[in-house]
Amino acid sequence: MAEFGPDSLPAYLLVAGVLFAAGVLAIGTRRSAISVLIGIELMLNAAALQFVAYDRFATTPGPQGQAAAAFVIVVAAAEAAVALALLFAVYKTTRDVDLESTRELRS
Amino acid sequence: MIAAALFLACCGLAIAGALGAALVRNLFHAALLLGLSLCGVAGLYLFLHAYYLACVQIVVYVGGILVLILFATLFSADVMGRLQRTPRWLLALGTVGAAVAGSTAWQLGSQVLAARPAPAAVRETPPGHDVGAIGDLLLGDWLLPFLAAGFLLTVALVGAVATVRRHQRTREVAHG
Repeated sequence: MAEFGPDSLPAYLLVAGVLFAAGVLAIGTRRSAISVLIGIELMLNAAALQFVAYDRFATTPGPQGQAAAAFVIVVAAAEAAVALALLFAVYKTTRDVDLESTRELRS
Repeated sequence: MIAAALFLACCGLAIAGALGAALVRNLFHAALLLGLSLCGVAGLYLFLHAYYLACVQIVVYVGGILVLILFATLFSADVMGRLQRTPRWLLALGTVGAAVAGSTAWQLGSQVLAARPAPAAVRETPPGHDVGAIGDLLLGDWLLPFLAAGFLLTVALVGAVATVRRHQRTREVAHG
């Protein structure tokens, strides 16, 4: 295994893996919808980091990895906006954003 | 040597922030820790020679998405009440600590910058990694996905506004 440093691919993959695991943990163990949102952001970030890392250490590095990571960021922005609107709708109905007790959007 | 230490610091920031965001009970603190993790990943982008992406990460993620999430935390429980119960001496201690840490970092940073090697050796961008190449790709081979991303953003934002507006109107009808 290569030395753990800025020039070794496994270091970046390890960080991305921990980030993804933290995202899964946040989604699986918490009841609040905001924690789920945070977990999704962490997982998207891990995916973007892997795109850039694999591209950087490819035999023919190109701009494709960074462009793909930019698309991931765009998707994350759209997702955050829609999620905030849905949270607002749920909050107006039930005065809370608990996923266990929320059953319907219409009051 | 300094690069290795900075790399370890960025890794630690990203991992500690992510684990904290997943485990801390206070949602407001969890969102702030998520911002810490995002900053660490931006530092890792710098080490990957993705300078443009590091800037986008700070501006869009930390400046945009994180602010949205912080705004969303106001929807849950007694976040504001818990913040107001923070003792005064803790706030004062935090302010002083931040000032000391900031000035120390400034001193260290200026000394490191003064002793750096020639800029060409530091800012050596591999071919195909600069902003121009990304722009050529997005407006060339990847033009269709690029336009689809713009369409997605438009639909998502209009849909978000429509969801909130429709909900408000049904409430007004119900109450009025």
